[in-house]
Amino acid sequence: MPQERAPSGTSLYVHLPFCQAKCHYCDFFSLPAEGQDIGGTLDAIVAESAQRSPRSPRTLFIGGGTPSLLSIAELRYLLDALEEHTGFRASSSETTLECNPESLDRDKAAALLDLGVTRLSIGFQSLDPKVLELFGRVHTTDQSLRAYDAARQAGVRSLNIDMIFAAPGTEGSSWGTALGRVLDLEPEHLSAYNLAFEEDTVFSRWLDQGRIKRMGDDAELELLYQTRAAARAAGLEPYEISNFARAGEECAHNLGYWANKSYVGIGPSAVSCVQGRRAGNAKALQTYRRRVGEGTGAEAWSEQLEGAARLGETWWLGLRTQRGVKPSEARETAGWQEHHDPAETRARALAGEGLLEESRGCFCLTEQSLALADHISAEFLVAPPTPSRSSSLSAP
Amino acid sequence: MDAQYIRNFSIIAHIDHGKSTLADRMLEITGSVKARDMRAQILDDMELERERGITIKARAVTIYHEYKGQRYELNLIDTPGHVDFSYEVEKSLQACEGAVLLVDASQGVEAQTVANAYLAMEQEHEILPVLNKVDLAHARPDEIAEEIENSLAIEATDALCISAKTGEGVPAVLDRIVERIPCPTGDPEAPLQALIFDAVFDEYRGVIVYLRLFSGTLKNRDLAKMVSTGTEYEALEIGRFQPKMKKCDELTAGEVGYLVSNIKQLGDVRVGDTLTHSKGPDVEPLEGYQEPQHMVYADFYPTSPGDYERLRDALETLSLSDSSLSFFPETSDALGFGFRCGFLGLLHMEIIQQRLEREHDMDMIQTAPSVTYRIQLADGSEQDIRSPGQLPEPDKYEALLEPIVRASMMIPTEFIGVLMQIANDHRGIFVRQDHLSPTRVQLVYDIPLAEIIYDFYDKLKSATRGYGTLNYEIIKYNHDKLVKLRLLVNGDDVDALSSICHESQAQQRGRAILKKLRKNIPRHLFEVRLQAAVGAKIIARENIAALRKDVTAKCYGGDISRKRKLLEKQKAGKRRMRQIGNVDIPQKAFLSVLGGDEK
Repeated sequence: MPQERAPSGTSLYVHLPFCQAKCHYCDFFSLPAEGQDIGGTLDAIVAESAQRSPRSPRTLFIGGGTPSLLSIAELRYLLDALEEHTGFRASSSETTLECNPESLDRDKAAALLDLGVTRLSIGFQSLDPKVLELFGRVHTTDQSLRAYDAARQAGVRSLNIDMIFAAPGTEGSSWGTALGRVLDLEPEHLSAYNLAFEEDTVFSRWLDQGRIKRMGDDAELELLYQTRAAARAAGLEPYEISNFARAGEECAHNLGYWANKSYVGIGPSAVSCVQGRRAGNAKALQTYRRRVGEGTGAEAWSEQLEGAARLGETWWLGLRTQRGVKPSEARETAGWQEHHDPAETRARALAGEGLLEESRGCFCLTEQSLALADHISAEFLVAPPTPSRSSSLSAP
Repeated sequence: MDAQYIRNFSIIAHIDHGKSTLADRMLEITGSVKARDMRAQILDDMELERERGITIKARAVTIYHEYKGQRYELNLIDTPGHVDFSYEVEKSLQACEGAVLLVDASQGVEAQTVANAYLAMEQEHEILPVLNKVDLAHARPDEIAEEIENSLAIEATDALCISAKTGEGVPAVLDRIVERIPCPTGDPEAPLQALIFDAVFDEYRGVIVYLRLFSGTLKNRDLAKMVSTGTEYEALEIGRFQPKMKKCDELTAGEVGYLVSNIKQLGDVRVGDTLTHSKGPDVEPLEGYQEPQHMVYADFYPTSPGDYERLRDALETLSLSDSSLSFFPETSDALGFGFRCGFLGLLHMEIIQQRLEREHDMDMIQTAPSVTYRIQLADGSEQDIRSPGQLPEPDKYEALLEPIVRASMMIPTEFIGVLMQIANDHRGIFVRQDHLSPTRVQLVYDIPLAEIIYDFYDKLKSATRGYGTLNYEIIKYNHDKLVKLRLLVNGDDVDALSSICHESQAQQRGRAILKKLRKNIPRHLFEVRLQAAVGAKIIARENIAALRKDVTAKCYGGDISRKRKLLEKQKAGKRRMRQIGNVDIPQKAFLSVLGGDEK
């Protein structure tokens, strides 16, 4: 059933599931655009927005998929509709749209600025032609650089570049050089991800088949720390495990996720989280469109976290950030009322072991323990409840 | 029924040779079960039994067969097919006058079949050889008949050839049972003398006692007593298995049936005991009740210490339906509070473990099974050692002894060489070799039981591509150069993983165990050192490097639930771990050392 509209000011995410081609590492919900009814899907997204979008969102993020794949006219249709439903152009402090180099030029960048987009995130992923091919990317290094220049020339003031390190077969090659070239472009923001082999991706299949190999923990760690050092040297401070920004240019929308704040997601597969209730939309386009059309809401699953589970999740997410977690804020976010705070107790114990550090009232990972973020932050998660046990016969 | 029209028989067969199928077909052909009620393998009612294709508890069924215009009551007493349950086999056989020896016409005679057939022959039973699966292309009935003659010295030239699956030849088996198996003798007017050959626990009705009457008559509401214990019970219900329990008013000499009384737990009934009337004259007990012999011991510890009481309740409940299970509390420095359990054999152990997990939802750690060792003290007295932890320092005893079994293996001739090698590697002493047919041979070795438990049976199976079979019985305790193999994790002894083994095998076993542990203990934030030692001497070592990297690169709004659940799952896995010092050892690491299934 459709949920109540989220409170005014809640962040908004819009998922456009189309790409020119699916990248081999990607586990987001996306479909090759060719032959798809993009217009019809956009209509459904706009309809869902009319039903569910919060008024005056604090931030807006349009991701995918490849939103830049849409024509200027399609983007206008979408953004004007969003404006009508939410008034984001006045309320949103940051409106990001994800772009791929092959579908971003100066005209589109200018049009996006015109439509209220304030920030572009461009997926370079690599500057190495061989790696681009291995990743299944459909653009060249030149196209990446041209797209970036085009955005700048159009007057986009806030730009992110997405990069991936530790690609199979790149051991000993010059990630440092590539990273240097990216940093020389002086983007306001950099996302640099250690390649992950997610389930149900081409890469995980290749990995199982032995066609590709992981680089290995030690080499990957070296790249992670090398990236942090290079970004810092270029004035981009790490503020999350894989994200770096100039002061004030941190992605406000994403910080909301890590602070376990509410957000509404619109579009196929999009996830929303409002007041601890997290829910995801149907993925299959037909189902999504039908359910939106029928006005029954496209929700396919939901979960409600309460109490210690919600508090634990807040810590787990918050520890991804450089700032870390302030116990009182986590309690407030999670609605934790009890006097005893098990998460804070745990944090103190971990700090005692040197796995967390406390600074200015916040607990955060150390530069060393960052590499063990999952291992450490999982300590805060509350294991799912044991399945109920059938009562055993008591002894006579 | 007049005893001359009664036949009591069992079917002796190896696993998968078609015993349950033959029983099903007999039920079907005699109309004891309507075709629509037929479920394959009616006699095996425990879920586990069906799954493993073996019969754990004996069952009985009464069927009626027309022969030359006369109606006969045939009581089929089903016997367990596994060596672990030979006492129950013996008791079941005791309730019969004859046995159908069912042999797969392509597989041939197997070791257990021979062992059980000998048990039947000791009781002077009439044995009817029947060759099953003759419809299969690779059936060799003539050769297998020869094997029967050579291995059991019984006439098999007129063995019936059947297909239990299709039903072909099964009516002839029923006729032959009537013709060849003697009817029971015994006077219905004489004092009651009934053999308790099995008992099962029913949640709703309490204990159900399986009886074979040798003399006298048992009526509803009769007061009866167990001869060995003197305990009295009223016959609240008596009846026959057809194959469901069906009430009747009386059971007479020669018949097989059940008794329901207010017997609360299985421990109150001794299989092998004799039942008679309370007020009647004293009767001689039928031949012998024996305490179950526990050959294999293992410890169960709850994964979560809070589950100790629940584990005890579960074991008590299981022992209601399995009187051969024994358990007593045990404490381990490493594993906390648990129970040391005695089993009839390895299969019995596995069955109990699975029933605890399935029927009682227990999360447990099970220690490596071990045999009962014995030490001789300076004063000449002996003491049983049930776990490596009980073994005193070497200077505190004179000699360490271990149980030796006489192992009989039936194998295809081509594997003699490799089997002898395996037996030698497992400290076996050659006893004899009998050629059963041109293609099959029986090898007899005396082998330490500990070797059988360790991996001998697996090796035999794989070396003979599954065609070899094994049967064994304990014959003696022997002295040998045995040592305690210690396992240390970051310097701490893990008692649960220690074992007693022969000096010459210690290093190899130690290495093998450490390799398995290394594979199954997750990386920690520090290096984990694994060592095997005999006394103070380290004989093998392995290290698990510290965990250096465990970090999710991407986690945005759409990823949170899925990634959190992944981590929660890992964390839930940790609940199944035990902490030794500051090292978490997962259950699968313990199990890997056991050599059992990894779960």
